[in-house]
Amino acid sequence: MPAIVLDSDKIQDSVKRIMEYGGTGVLKCVQCGACSAVCPGVKAGFPVLCRLLIKKLLEGQFEELVEETSTWGCQACNRCTEVCPQGVRPQEVVFAYRRYQASELAFSSSATTSQMNLYGTGHAVFTEAGPLREKVGLPAKAPTSAYDEKAQKEIQTLLDNSPMGELGLF
Amino acid sequence: MEKYGLYLGCNIPFKAPDIEQSFRKVFPALGIEVTDLPGAGCCPAWGTAPSFDLTTWCAVSGRNITIAEDLDVPIMTGCNSCFGVLSEAKHFIEADASRKKAVNEKLGLINRQFKGTSDIYHISHVLYEKVGLDKIKESLKYDLSGLKVAVQPGCHILWPSDVYHVKEKNSFFPTQLKELVEALGASAPHYSRLEACCGMGGMRSTDVEKSLELFKTKLLSIKEEIDPDCIVTTCSSCFLQFDMSQKTLKERGEIDFEIPVFYYTQLLALAMGFDPANVAALCVTPRDAIIAEIQSEARKVREQEPLMTLAPSIDR
Amino acid sequence: MAKVGVYVCHCGSNIAGVIDVEAVRAFAEGLPDVAVARKDLFMCSDSGQEMIKQDIRDGLVDKVVVAACTPRTHEPIFRGALSAGGLNKYLFEMANIRDQDSWVHAQDPEGATRKAKLLVASAVGKAARLRPLEEKYVDVTKAALVIGGGVAGIFSALELAKMGFKTYLVEKEPSIGGVMAMLDKTFPTNDCSACILTPVMVEAGNHPNIELLTYSEVEDVEGYIGNFNVKVRRKQAYVDWARCTGCGACAEKCPSKTPDEFNMGLSNRKAAYIHFPQAVPKKAVVDMAHCKSCGGREIGTEPKISEKTGKPLLAPCEKACPADAINRTLQWDPAGEIKEIKVGTIVVATGFQVMDKGWFKEMAPDNKNVITALQMERLISATGPTGGKLLRPSDNEKPHTLTFVSCVGSRDEKHHTYCSRVCCMYMIKQARLIKEKYPDVNIYMHFIDVRSPGKDYDEYYTGARKMGINILRGKVGGLEVLPGDNLRVLAYDLDACAPVEYESDLVILATAMELPPTAKKLAQTLGLQFCGSNFFKELHPKLGPVETSTEGIFLAGCCQGPKDIPDTVSQAKGAAAAAAVPLCQGRVKIEPIISEVHTEKCSGCGICVPLCPYNAISLKPYAEKPRAIIDITQCKGCGVCTAACPSAAIVLHGYEEDQIFAQIAALTA
Ligand SMILES: Cc1cc2nc3c(=O)[nH]c(=O)nc-3n(C[C@H](O)[C@H](O)[C@H](O)COP(=O)(O)OP(=O)(O)OC[C@H]3O[C@@H](n4cnc5c(N)ncnc54)[C@H](O)[C@@H]3O)c2cc1C
Ligand code: SF4
Ligand code: SF4
Ligand code: SF4
Repeated sequence: MPAIVLDSDKIQDSVKRIMEYGGTGVLKCVQCGACSAVCPGVKAGFPVLCRLLIKKLLEGQFEELVEETSTWGCQACNRCTEVCPQGVRPQEVVFAYRRYQASELAFSSSATTSQMNLYGTGHAVFTEAGPLREKVGLPAKAPTSAYDEKAQKEIQTLLDNSPMGELGLF
Repeated sequence: MEKYGLYLGCNIPFKAPDIEQSFRKVFPALGIEVTDLPGAGCCPAWGTAPSFDLTTWCAVSGRNITIAEDLDVPIMTGCNSCFGVLSEAKHFIEADASRKKAVNEKLGLINRQFKGTSDIYHISHVLYEKVGLDKIKESLKYDLSGLKVAVQPGCHILWPSDVYHVKEKNSFFPTQLKELVEALGASAPHYSRLEACCGMGGMRSTDVEKSLELFKTKLLSIKEEIDPDCIVTTCSSCFLQFDMSQKTLKERGEIDFEIPVFYYTQLLALAMGFDPANVAALCVTPRDAIIAEIQSEARKVREQEPLMTLAPSIDR
Repeated sequence: MAKVGVYVCHCGSNIAGVIDVEAVRAFAEGLPDVAVARKDLFMCSDSGQEMIKQDIRDGLVDKVVVAACTPRTHEPIFRGALSAGGLNKYLFEMANIRDQDSWVHAQDPEGATRKAKLLVASAVGKAARLRPLEEKYVDVTKAALVIGGGVAGIFSALELAKMGFKTYLVEKEPSIGGVMAMLDKTFPTNDCSACILTPVMVEAGNHPNIELLTYSEVEDVEGYIGNFNVKVRRKQAYVDWARCTGCGACAEKCPSKTPDEFNMGLSNRKAAYIHFPQAVPKKAVVDMAHCKSCGGREIGTEPKISEKTGKPLLAPCEKACPADAINRTLQWDPAGEIKEIKVGTIVVATGFQVMDKGWFKEMAPDNKNVITALQMERLISATGPTGGKLLRPSDNEKPHTLTFVSCVGSRDEKHHTYCSRVCCMYMIKQARLIKEKYPDVNIYMHFIDVRSPGKDYDEYYTGARKMGINILRGKVGGLEVLPGDNLRVLAYDLDACAPVEYESDLVILATAMELPPTAKKLAQTLGLQFCGSNFFKELHPKLGPVETSTEGIFLAGCCQGPKDIPDTVSQAKGAAAAAAVPLCQGRVKIEPIISEVHTEKCSGCGICVPLCPYNAISLKPYAEKPRAIIDITQCKGCGVCTAACPSAAIVLHGYEEDQIFAQIAALTA
C-alpha cells in the first residue's frame, strides 16, 4: 500500500465537502469502531463504511474514493447511529459520500434504472402487476403515482429542479 | 374510529399485492379505517434521491406526506424502508428551519406545502399500540397454538430510535413483533441473530453474493437455533429476501430446507379466517401446507366470519 | 478630600494588547478625587506593588484603585500592599479591565478602552468613599468531620486523628470500607485488597481520637469554617450495638432473603445481617424493609406466650442472639436517632457508584452472564458468592471464554463524556488474576485504547499481553444472546480493519464511575457545587484540588472525580492536611464585608429574617422592643437584607449606599 500523504489543505477540503453533503458529525468521530462492529455492510464485506470511510475522509482521501463500491453496500439501517458513542451518525456520513459519488456519476448501471423508473412512474421499483393484483382481488391499477399522470408530473418537476436533474439521467 | 392513510410504496403493490390485500382486510375488521393516498409515489428509496441530494429526498418524501396532510390523516406503511425514509425525511425537514424553507420552495413548484401535521407509523406500530394485543386475540377464528415462528422485525423499524416515536423497550432485543405473533397463539422463541440485517436493499443490488451470504448467516441461526414452522416479518423487503433467496440457496445446495414466510398481516388474516387466495397467494417458498394447517378445523375457535366493523376498503 | 491613587496594569499584552492603557491612565488623572494615576507592565509584580506602597508612604494617596485583572485571585495581593504601606487594606477597590473587558472585547479595542475608563471611574467613585474596616476573629472547634468511610475517608480521618484532633467518621453503611473492601486484589501489585485495607479499617475503628458513626448520614449542617454544627442521623439498626459481638448468629437464623449489596446482587443476604466478614465495626443490623417480623414479632409489641411451654415466642433473630442484643419488644424508633456534633472543618469523601448494566441496551443487559466489573471483583473474591471460584451466574459452570468490554458508559455522549480512569487497569488486573489461576481460560479484551498512565502501570499492561491475554483495539458494538445463555460478541479489530465475532461464556462490562444520586442531597446540605462531569467541584482544578468554594469543607477520593487507590489516598491525606490548617491556627478570620443593623433605625418589622439565606438574622429585644440583629459569624455579606430593609437600617460594609450611588453615577455619566 502506498503511504498516505497527509496534506492539511486536502484534509480541510475533505471535511468541508463531506459536511456540505450532509455528514455533519464527521469531526466528532474518535475512531472507536463500535459502528463497524455492528454494521451489516462491513460484515458482508463492504469494508469502507462508517468508521473506515470516516478515517479515510479525515485523512483527506476524498476524491480518491470516488470509485469505492463499499458505500453502496450500506443498508441505511442506522445501527451504527444507534451505537455510536459520539453522536457522529455514521450513516449520514456514508450517504453524504454517496451524494458526492452520485454527483460524479460513480454508481452502477442498475442504480441508473431505479432513477429512471422513479422519474417515469414515481416508483423506483415498478413492474406491471395488473394480473397479479387481480388474482388476489385487487383492482389492476394501484392508487399510486404509477397510474396518475398529475402525480408523475409533480415528481418529475421536483426531480427536474434538483441536482439529480442536472446530471442528465432523465 | 381511527383513520390512517395507507402508504403502499413500491414492493407491496407491484410485487406482493397479497400483502396489500391483507392490510385491506384486517384493519377494517380491527376497527381501523384505511384510506388510500392517491398519487403517492416512491418514498423515495434509499438508492435514489437520498443518495443524490438531501433536499430533493426531503421534497419527494415531503410530497408523499402532504398527500396525507391534505386528507388530515396520519400515514401508515407496511414497508420498513418507506417507514425509515419518510420518518427521517420528516425529521430532517423539521429539525432545520432552513431545510424546511428549501423543501417548501420546491414543493411550491407543484402547489404543495409541508406542514408537519401527519405522523408516520409503521403498520406494526398501529397493530401494537393502537389496535392492541387484546383486540387481535378477540378477532381470531383460528388458534395458532403449537406453531413455532421466527420473527424478523427488520432494521428500519428499530434504528435510529431517536427519530421514531413508537419505540421498542430495547431496540437491540425487540419484542413487539414477538408479542404480536404470540397474540395469535403461536410461540416466537428468541434466536441470536434476531436483530440482524437480512441483506436485502442496497446491498443486494450492489452485490447479490454478499447479500446472500449475510442472509444465509441469519437464516442458519433461525434454522439451527429454533427450527421454526414459519418466518414472520413486518417488512416487505425482508419478506422478499426470505421468500426469494431460500430457493436460490437451496438450488445451489447451500441449504437443504425451506421455511415458509409470511408478512405478519398475512398470518393474522389467515388466523382471522380470510381467504388465502386473497391474502396469501403469492410466494416463491411454498407455504400451502402450513396455510392448510393454520386454517384446519382443529384450530377453529369460532364459527362465524371475522366481525367486520367497517366495510373492507377495496373488494371486488 | 480623598486622595485616590489609580494604578493601571498592562498585564503583559493581556490588557495592553487591546486597551490603550496610557489613555485610561490619563483619563483617570483627570477624575475628581484622584491624586496620582500610574501604569505598570505587571502591577502585581514586586515593583508594581512597591509603587503603591511608596505613594502611600509619601502621603500622596490614602485610597487605592488598581485597574487590572480579577479580584478573585489578585485582591489579596494588593490588599497586602496597602497594609505594608500602612493603610487599612479595605481602602482598596479593583476595576477588572481584563476578564470583563480586554478578554471579551478583543475585537473592539476602542470600545474596550471606553469601557475601561468607565470601570475605572466607577471604582474611583467608590474608593473615594470607602471607610476602613476591621477584621475580627473567632475561635475554632478543634474537631473534624469526615463524611464517607471508604479508603479516602478512612485515611483522612486517620491523618486528622494522628495530628491530635477529635474526628468523627460518618458512613452510611453499617461498616466502613467502601468499594475497596469489595475488591479482590489491587493493581499493579496484585496485593489482596482486604489484606491491606483491613488493618487500616481496624486502626480507624480503634483510634482514640476517631468516633465511628456508621449506618449514619449527615442530615444538616449549619455554621461556617471553624464552627460547624452538624446533625447526624443514625439509622435504626434494631440491634443494641453495645451488646452485639458480631457473631452473626442472628443472620444465620433469619429466614428472609434479599439481594446482597456487598456482593452486587450476585448472592442473597438475610434481613438480619452483618455487612461483610471483615466489617468495622462488626455489628449486625436488621433491615426492616425486608424483615418478615417472624412469628408476628412486630417491633414494640409484647411476644405471644407459648401455650405449651409458657415461654414467650421470640423471632429467630432474637432467640439466636447469645448477647441479648436483639429485643423486638422495645420501642425502637424507626427514624433512628439524631446526634449533634460540633466541628471546625469537614472532609467529604463519599465516593462513587458504578453504572448499572441496565443502561446498555446493546449489551444484552437481561442476560445473567453479562456482569459489571464490580460484580466480577466479587465473583473472584474469596469472600464472594462463589468463595472465589470462577463460576458464571447462569449455571454456576466454569466459563471457558471471557470477554472484557471497556468504556461502557464512559467516553460516551449518551452517558458520561469523561474517561473513568481506572477501568482499563482493573480489567487488566482481573484478566491477569484469572489467567494466572486458570491458564486454560481464553480471555479477549476490547479497548478503544489502553489507558495505563501511572507508576508501573504500562508494564502491568504489557505483562498481560505476555501472559497470552488477547487484547484488541476497537469498541464492542453489541452482544447477541445464544442458546444456553452464551453470548456472541460483535466487535471490531481496528488494526485489521475487520469485524470480529465469537462466542463468549461470560462478558464483563467496565461500567462508568459516577456520583450516586444521593450526592445531590448532600451537596445541598453542604453547599457543594458540581463540575461538568457531575462530580463534586474542587476550588481550582490545579491549585485547589482538595478545597471547595465553601471555606472549611474539603474533598477527597472519587467523589471529586474518578481515580485509583494511590491517587485517592494521596488526595485523602492532602485533604486532611488542608482541613487541619484552621484547626491548628485555632482561630478563623471573620470577613468585615458583612451586614450590620443600625438598631436605632430598625422598626422590628422582621422582613429581613426569613430572607437571609444563611439564617444569620434574628429578632432580639433592644430597649424592650424586638430588633433585628445579625450574627457576624453566620453573615456571608450577600446584601439581601440590606436591599430589603424598608427602614434602610442595614448597611453592608464595603458596599454602602453612597459608595454604590457614586459607582452608578460614574457609569451613567
Ligand atoms: C471494579 C473496580 C475495580 C477496582 N480496582 C482497583 C484496583 O485494583 N486498584 C486501584 O487502585 N483502584 C481500583 N479501583 C478504584 C477504587 O475502588 C477507588 O479508587 C476507591 O474505592 C475510591 O475510594 P473512595 O473512598 O473515594 O470511594 P468509595 O470506595 O466509594 O467510598 C465511599 C464511601 O462513602 C460512603 N458514602 C457515600 N455517600 C455517603 C453519604 N451521603 N453519607 C455517608 N457515607 C456515604 C459509601 O458508603 C462508601 O463507604 C477499582 C474500582 C472498581 C469499580
Ligand atoms: S462509532 Fe462513532 S465514534 Fe466510533 S468509529 Fe464509528 S462513527 Fe466514529
Ligand atoms: S447504516 Fe450503513 S454504515 Fe451504518 S450500520 Fe447500517 S449498513 Fe452499516
Ligand atoms: S479507563 Fe479505559 S475503559 Fe475506562 S473509560 Fe477510560 S479508556 Fe475507557
